[in-house]
Amino acid sequence: MTPEFAVSARELRRNFGAFTAVDGISFDVRHGEIFGFLGANGAGKTTAIRMLCGLLPPTSGSATVAGYDIGRQVHQVKGAIGYMSQRFSLYDDISVGENIEFYGGVYGLSRAAIAAKSKSLLADLGLSDQRHLLTKSLPLGWKQRLALGTALLHEPSIIFLDEPTGGVDPISRRRFWRIIYELAEKGTTVFVTTHYMDEAEYCNRISIMHQGAIVALGSPTALKQEYGLGTVQDVFVHLITGTTDR
Amino acid sequence: MQQILYLVQKEFRQIFRDRFMVGFLFIVPIIQIFVLGNAVTTNVVNVKVVMHDADRTPMSRDLIGRFTHSRYFRVVAVEDDYTALTRILDRGDASLALVIPRHFQRDAVNRDRPAVQLLVDALDGNSSGIALGYVSEIVQRYQADAVLRDPALAAPMAGTHRAELEPRYWYNPELESKVYIIPGIMAILLVIVTIFLTSMGIVREKEIGTLEQLMVTPIRSYQLIVGKIIPFAALGFVEMILVMGFVYLIFGIGITGSIPLLFAEAMLFIFTTLGLGILISTIAETQQQALFIGWFFMIFAMLLSGFFIPIANMPPSIQAITYANPVRYFLIVLREIYLKGTGLSDLIPETLSMAVISLTVFTAAVLRFRSTLR
Ligand SMILES: Nc1ncnc2c1ncn2[C@@H]1O[C@H](COP(=O)(O)OP(=O)(O)O)[C@@H](O)[C@H]1O
Ligand SMILES: [Mg+2]
Repeated sequence: MTPEFAVSARELRRNFGAFTAVDGISFDVRHGEIFGFLGANGAGKTTAIRMLCGLLPPTSGSATVAGYDIGRQVHQVKGAIGYMSQRFSLYDDISVGENIEFYGGVYGLSRAAIAAKSKSLLADLGLSDQRHLLTKSLPLGWKQRLALGTALLHEPSIIFLDEPTGGVDPISRRRFWRIIYELAEKGTTVFVTTHYMDEAEYCNRISIMHQGAIVALGSPTALKQEYGLGTVQDVFVHLITGTTDR
Repeated sequence: MQQILYLVQKEFRQIFRDRFMVGFLFIVPIIQIFVLGNAVTTNVVNVKVVMHDADRTPMSRDLIGRFTHSRYFRVVAVEDDYTALTRILDRGDASLALVIPRHFQRDAVNRDRPAVQLLVDALDGNSSGIALGYVSEIVQRYQADAVLRDPALAAPMAGTHRAELEPRYWYNPELESKVYIIPGIMAILLVIVTIFLTSMGIVREKEIGTLEQLMVTPIRSYQLIVGKIIPFAALGFVEMILVMGFVYLIFGIGITGSIPLLFAEAMLFIFTTLGLGILISTIAETQQQALFIGWFFMIFAMLLSGFFIPIANMPPSIQAITYANPVRYFLIVLREIYLKGTGLSDLIPETLSMAVISLTVFTAAVLRFRSTLR
């Protein structure tokens, strides 16, 4: 019953007018792995992730997410995934607890389930005492962890994170990645985009995107070996510019 | 269903946490009723009149006296110099000039068609029209009294007014602007709350990215739409009740007709404006754009509603456009129900027109919303 891959894309393409944002990419993501999309700004990471989440129809190509076709079974796809967009996407003008309640409700959780989830999430985040605070008063790092928590309320099997740590301090980023590891250990597939090279090192496998195409795919170790370079950053620069930046 | 409840709850939380919004929703109607109800004078009192009496007879003095004693007129001067009248009108010191020519009484007695001349500053066509109505009322009353005193005058006087026009403003006896303006305020408030709040509410979620977050949940677009419109429809009704309450408290004017009918008609009307709000949200990328488009629609709808300019005074091509304007029908319906207590059976054409417009706009809005948001 469980599909072979958590995510499986074939020749996925998206044009905006004459411009090709995603240029026929193909890849498979295994269950429970942390899969990274590494690429500069404008590489097409967000466009790819939005297609996989059913937010944007592909121009051509196909993909399955959690075994569902992103074209014909959008509704099922949406029920199976969690998504955290690159923009902070909670409501600033309602409280922390109300945001959790709202997203829980929208995902169709029962009142009891929402209450229980909310309690444990707030405890995990150390926000139990701040649940009545307006969300806008939280520091960005907390907000992003809260957003992640709400995206996970319905216990999706796959979570898509689009530059989840953009703009936050290193400590918060480390905390965030600790949560990602815990998720993966519990069997959740994590699909994450980033342009931070150090974060790419934390992934099980990464695909390096450049101008809408995947130019390399593999585990950080394998990629470093393949190109004979010491860090993912070197591999990235080598692939993008054809030189090695030392 | 549950999803919709959560959406509605969230929307109300956002609205009521916003102090500015709460103030806006509750204070604006009071101010509008107070200011518009008193300032937009379609009831014309204290019209400044200048008189010129070339006759100086008991009859002419009687006529002048009637103007002096009317609460609609204020006689600013009785001018001896006829040529001064135009100057006074030009300066704006008076908006009406009544000229009683020499031999007015003689002509009356001799059955030789007595006449008076009336000069009107028609810059404000509405007010001057209403003032004219008052003048003709006074003049006719004067005639009638004169005939009573001297039946012999009946023949010549009748000659001056072959067709007797005697306006009786039944439901609004003194053409009180308050009564006339209330339906207008209700319509404007409903338009504001529904078109503006709906479109800007949705566009704001576009701007901050929460709409995308919602679209990635298994929520259906119809649930999203219903969850968005229920709060604003409810607010619209609250505003209506507020206006009705204030109007009763401040001016002592209550509703004559059926309240459920009034609300049912308002519901029909609101569907169009909510639909427009949704439609605008699919076009606008920013709240500012939504505001501009909303203004555009609102100004057009109000100007072409017959509220400011009587529809009969518009050129035929423009008149044709007003048939597609729901505000046009809604104002009629509001006035009829509010002031006359008219029942549904006499409001069928308006109700049907609003239903057709609502259905068209709302369907278009939902289809477009679904296609733009996938
Ligand atoms: N809705 C859109 N319309 C037109 N161009 C777009 C749209 N969305 C993204 N693009 C373009 O596609 C390219 C890839 O964007 P994006 O997927 O956001 O990149 P990344 O997330 O890797 O920074 C960019 O050049 C961007 O300008
Ligand atoms: Mg991006």
